[in-house]
This record gives sequence, C-alpha cells and structure tokens, in this order.
Amino acid sequence: MTDHRIVFEKTGRARFISHLDLNRCMVRAIRRSGLPAWYTEGFHPHMYLMFPLALSLGTESLCEVMDIRLTEERSPSEILSRLNAVLPEGLHAVEVRTPQDRTQDIEAAEYRVTLTGEALLPLWEQFLAQPEILAEKRTKKGVQTIDLRPLIEAEEAQAEGDHLILALRLPAGNAGNINVSMVTDAFSEFAETPIYVEKLLRTKIFCGNGRLFS
Amino acid sequence: MLKEKIGSVLLEVQRPSRYCGGEVGQVVKDKAKVDVRFAFCFPDIYDVGMSHLGMKILYARINERENYWCERVFAPWTDMEAVMRREGIPLYALESLDPVKEFDFIGFTLQYEMSYTTILHMLSLAQVPVLQRERGEAIAPLVVAGGPCCCDPEPLADFFDLFILGEGEDVDLELMDLYHTMRDAGATRSAFLRKAAEIPGIYVPSLYDVAYHADGTVQSITPKDGAPAVITKRVMPDLDKAYYPDHVVVPYLEIVHDRVSVEVLRGCIRGCRFCQAGFIYRPFREKSPEVVCRQGKALCDNTGYDELSLSSLSTSDHSGIEEILDGLLAYSEQGHVHLSLPSLRVDNFSESVLKKISAVRKSGLTFAPEAGTQRLRDVINKNVTEEEIMRTCSIAFAAGYTQVKLYFMLGLPTETDEDVLGIAALAQKVVDLFYATPGRAKGRPQVTISTATFVPKPFTPFAFEPQVEKAEILRRQQLLKKAVDPKYIKTSLHVSDVSLVEAVLARGDRRLGAVLYEVWKNGGWLESWEEQFRAERWYDAFAKAGLDPAFYANRIRPYEETEPWAHLNYMVSRSFLIRENRKAHAGETTPSCRQQCAGCGANQCLGGSCF
Ligand code: SF4
Repeated sequence: MTDHRIVFEKTGRARFISHLDLNRCMVRAIRRSGLPAWYTEGFHPHMYLMFPLALSLGTESLCEVMDIRLTEERSPSEILSRLNAVLPEGLHAVEVRTPQDRTQDIEAAEYRVTLTGEALLPLWEQFLAQPEILAEKRTKKGVQTIDLRPLIEAEEAQAEGDHLILALRLPAGNAGNINVSMVTDAFSEFAETPIYVEKLLRTKIFCGNGRLFS
Repeated sequence: MLKEKIGSVLLEVQRPSRYCGGEVGQVVKDKAKVDVRFAFCFPDIYDVGMSHLGMKILYARINERENYWCERVFAPWTDMEAVMRREGIPLYALESLDPVKEFDFIGFTLQYEMSYTTILHMLSLAQVPVLQRERGEAIAPLVVAGGPCCCDPEPLADFFDLFILGEGEDVDLELMDLYHTMRDAGATRSAFLRKAAEIPGIYVPSLYDVAYHADGTVQSITPKDGAPAVITKRVMPDLDKAYYPDHVVVPYLEIVHDRVSVEVLRGCIRGCRFCQAGFIYRPFREKSPEVVCRQGKALCDNTGYDELSLSSLSTSDHSGIEEILDGLLAYSEQGHVHLSLPSLRVDNFSESVLKKISAVRKSGLTFAPEAGTQRLRDVINKNVTEEEIMRTCSIAFAAGYTQVKLYFMLGLPTETDEDVLGIAALAQKVVDLFYATPGRAKGRPQVTISTATFVPKPFTPFAFEPQVEKAEILRRQQLLKKAVDPKYIKTSLHVSDVSLVEAVLARGDRRLGAVLYEVWKNGGWLESWEEQFRAERWYDAFAKAGLDPAFYANRIRPYEETEPWAHLNYMVSRSFLIRENRKAHAGETTPSCRQQCAGCGANQCLGGSCF
C-alpha cells in the first residue's frame, strides 16, 4: 500500500465544481484511470481519498492537493499520465509526491486576486490603512464578527490599466480559514464603487513559519 | 462574450455546475466542420434531465455522425432564470455555450404533461417565437419533440413544427439528413415540413385540420397537402443491433438518478391496464445477456460510475435475468460497482435474485400492488397476489430488510371503499409478517403506504375512463388514514390539482394550446415542481379559453368517440384496448404476453410473433 499526494490545478470551468462534488468527480476519475485505488473495509467500502484543504466555490487554484492510496506500486509519472488522460476540463495533475506534512500543519494560503474597477490602487491602500476591518464570518456556531486586518498579509498590489492585481496571504486550514472572497467583499463594501472580481486564484499553501506545504 | 457573461454570473446562483458544461463525456466539435446542430432540450432542470436515459442514447447517437452535433439544454432553476433575464443571457447549450436560437433543431423530449409550460418558457428564453405560425418561412430553427407524451401531443400542436413518434434512434438521423439536403437547396420551412411528413413516424400537426362537434368532441381530423392519414410510431425491432452508447456525460453534481443505466429490454409483457408505458413501448424485446453485460461494463469503465442500473419497465421479466446478474457479479464485486434493479416485481422475485443484489447493496424494498384488494387488482390486471407479496416480503425480512414501501393508486376504475380499506389491511399484514419472520432484523419494521391519484392515459384500456374528482379522492384518503396504525405504518398520501391538470393534458385536444399559452403567460413554468404550481392559474386559463377541465378529465368517453389522437398509431389496436376495457369491467384478467399473446397488434412491426 502506498500513499501519494497529488498536486493539481483547478481552473476555468472547474472553479464551479463544489468541494463535495470534487470528491465524487475525483473518485470517478481514479476509477476511469485504472489506478489500483484502495477501498476501505466494511459494509460500505469507499475509495480512500483525502483533501487536506478545501477550496471555495468560484476560486481557481494552481496548488490543490489530494491524497490517494494505491494497493500496488505505481511510478509518479504513470500516476500523472493516467490521471491527466481522464480528468475533466480545468482539472490537471501537475505533481505526485510522497506526503510530508499533515493536514493540521497547514496554516496559510496565498492568492492572486484580479479586480476591475476605477482607480482601485489608492482605494486598496486606504482600505488596508484602516485600524480594523470588521467582517462577518459564518462558523458552525453561527455568524461571528472578526477583524480581518491583522489576518491579511498583502504581499503585493499592482495596478494594470483598470485592473488591480493583489497577492494576499491569508490564514488557512483547520485552525481558522479565511476565504479570499471575504476580503474582496469587505473591500467592495469599503470602496463604495463597483468592483468586479475578475479572478481569484490560490497559488500556494503554507505550513507554519512560511514553509511550503509538501 | 456570452461565455464570459455566463462565467461572471454563475457564482450568484445555487449549484453553478448545472450551467457551465465542461463535464467528462460531453461532446465538443469544431463548429466549422459541423453541418447540422441539434439542441436536445429537456424541459426541466439539469438534475432531472441528466438522469434521463433516452437523452443519453440520442445524444451519443447523433454525435456519432461527424458532421452533426447534438448538445444539451436544460431549464434554468428560477434563480438562474432571473439572472439570465437581468443580464440578457439567452437560453444556451452546455457544450458550446452558444445560444439555442442559432441551432438547426431545437428538440424537446415530452416525458410528462407538467413540463409543457416549461417548454414554452424555454422557447421564450431562447428568443425563439413560441407559436409555430410565428416562426416564418426560414427553415431554422425547427422546433421538434419526441418522447412518450407524443402519443397525444395535440395540446402542444400550436408550438411545434413536428413530432417524432416512437423510438428515435434511426428517425432522428433520417430527419436531420433530409434537413441537411433541403436547407442546402434553399427550401422553406413549410416545404421541409411537407417533405418530412413523408418520413414514417414524423407527425407535422400543421398539416392536419381538426373539426369539433358542438359538444366539444372531435368530429374529424383531415390531412392536407398529401400528409398521411395515419402516422405510425417507429420501433427498433432488434435491441442487440440498436445503437447503445458506451459513454455518457458524467455530471459534477449529484443528479436524481446518479448512476449509469443499461437498458435490458423494451416494452412490457404485463399489460397492467392503467400503465401507459406498458402499452406504448410494445412490443416486448429483450437484449441478450452478453450484450447487456458488455454494455454495462463499458459504461462503468468509461464513466467511472460505481452504480449500474439494469433498467426497463420490468427488469426481472427478462428471461435471462439470472444470467445477466451472474455475468456481472464478479465484475461488480471486484470493481466495487453496485447493481440496482429499479423495477423488481414481486411475483418472480426469487431468493437468488435477492441475494445477488443484496450482495452489493442493502436498501429498502418497494412494491407496487397498486390496489388493495384482489378484486381491484384483477380489474387493473396487476397480476400480483397477496401470497406473492407476502412470500417476497418474508424472503426479504429473513434476509435482514426492514423497510417496505408500498405504492397504490386511488381512484382506479370501479374502486369502492372496501378496496381502499384493503390497502390498510395489506400493509398491516406486512407488519404482522415481519414480527412472525424468524431471523428478522432487530427493531420495528418501517412500512410506508404511498398513494397517487389515478390519471387515465391514451393508448391504455383505461383511456375511456373518467378520473375520480378531487373531493372524492380526499374522502377516500381520509378513510385510508383512519384505517392504518400510525405506529407501524407511515402514510404518504398525496393529493393536488396537479392530477387533474395531468388528466386534462394527457387526453387533450388542440384547443388546450390556448390554455397552455395563458398559463405560461401568467408565470407558469417548471410546474412539475410543486412550489411552482398554482391551481388558480390553470382554472383561470380554462375559464378564459371557455373550456371545462371536467370535459377532458371526468367524463366517460364512449368507445365510438373519435379521440384527439385517432390519427396516431402506437401499434396497439383500438379493438384490443376496447376488449381489455370490457374485461376490466368484468373483473377478468389477461395473462402476460409470455404465457399467451393477447393479440394487441404490436407484433406487426416484428413481422412475426413476439415470442
Ligand atoms: S402482440 Fe401479443 S405478445 Fe406481442 S405485445 Fe401484443 S399482446 Fe403481447
């Protein structure tokens, strides 16, 4: 039995696949691929498949991760080519690794955000200059008001024509996850001018102390 | 641009993957190399339409032709529809995301009457004239329909260019071939329709004049311009040779029937007198077990689905069902594929069949005795006895099952209070049997009674029967409810004005086009969803059109009357249906086709007997 961590992209139309549906979609893809997936024992056996970090609907990603378990040895290149032969449009496996970190090690993720609107850069700077940015977060316990400001690490902000391109690092994982759309929603509200979210793209997943999740 | 616009709004709606296409198994072609484009429209939402087997067969069949392209179109749910109207997004097809109005054919499948107003709404969302007479002489787009409700499509005559009767595998392509040639030669819509009417199975409603008697019944149906006096449905005589896809589109979201299906037989040997499918899909034809197994395995392998349904009206009537199950068992165990038989019958449900299915999945049992007493079961020719039901339940209880769902109809011809009370008695016997079964599972049995109101349908022996009125159905339900012990038996008693509307449309004539139009104009669509249905909208529309729903639904139709569908031939003869109706009233049963041919006439297309 061998465990493999598959890094895959989820872009284009595939951004409309919800997390729940992604699981079913991957199970079917692995079944089509002919890879010898391991099934759990018991009355209702199901394919072992694990996604360490969910991605919210509508956000694209270059760095999604899925763990699979095979009953027989297969080389990373064979796994990649078999999967890519059967994955739907927008899903593409880019790397196969042996899992190093655990799900609970995940602490942050980085996003590239493309916004469209008029003179957004100065507005963005004002937005970040606020002492606090209050936003509502849905949790299992209900709606909670949190301060987003200390949670946003803005790595980069650049204006290109009427686009504003941001690189943001936000908390991710079990300890506390901030969807990138919470930040863009708060910014839209602050800006009081129409802002169109062109693209949300997850680019990296981190463990503590800024090490890439691997 | 439409593509970007669609992408930009999808996060506003529930379940956006209904609307974006891009699934595994979808067929995408180079528009420049395609001669004829067919938009296959299902008049309900994605979750329902994607579950439909006929669409999967015809989609793959048309796409096999390199220069023809079939795409899928579903009705948007109300949230998406509002966004589409706000943004000016026309109805589009999922593969290319191109507007439906640019297609050569806009083809609907008519599966149930309550989808009719959705068809009008989809045409209007597509920005295509809803009324056929307003479409002008340009040949495209042609609005066509197939499916079971084509056996009386008269209420929809105003909206369609043509109807395709019977099985579409061959005739769809014949129609597209004719279109291809005539369009390239510059033909007009009406010239094309006149020519199309010569293809067997194609019914062009505008080529027929219907006259009515003063009492509202049909006086005559007169063909024009050389159209045939009678249109006969198409049949694929040999299922082993009929086209069957080895791949289907694999949806992202969980659809209503989320599994792949291999069709094991067509038609039905039973002849239950209320069941339209049992007559209009005749004659009975089986696929050979090796073909079933090969097709089923290919579908699972190519889609990655882990559930394979052996589908038909009555799968356990296949003479080789054990062979099929044996042929799939090893594959199903090794490949973690569940087998499901959606239509088990109680009378030939053997222990070994049960074991083979439960080997892979344990679920509740569902039976459809349809009527509570043997007398009424004889009337409807549901040849199922109480002993058979009990025997099957006892096998099932001994095997660990606890859930039994029993389906019945209220308002069947000749039904009395005694028959209604018989439903409660039968359910109670099932409960008692559970407690008397050695080796039963722990706990209580869960027995559920579901009832639906009987809707008389064309081409059945009950096409002559009145529907029982709603107030009387309600009384019978109360009677039933009082007679069951709610501790052990759950009742799901459904009543609504929907059954009346269904009864009107199922045996309707062309005058109902005005009613459909009015209901749609007043916001009626997606009415197969209870929350979208408004009875008043229908009653107002009937009144406005000067039509009485009772005339269509609650009236005995004499054998001599000309039915609105008298020019359509579904191969079961009228004299056979009358004979069966008489036998029903005499309480006489008709044996299954396997035991003895009842002479329905459907074997005419096989050039010999069915068995
Ligand atoms: S022709 Fe006879 S055997 Fe064939 S479907 Fe009709 S009744 Fe049944």
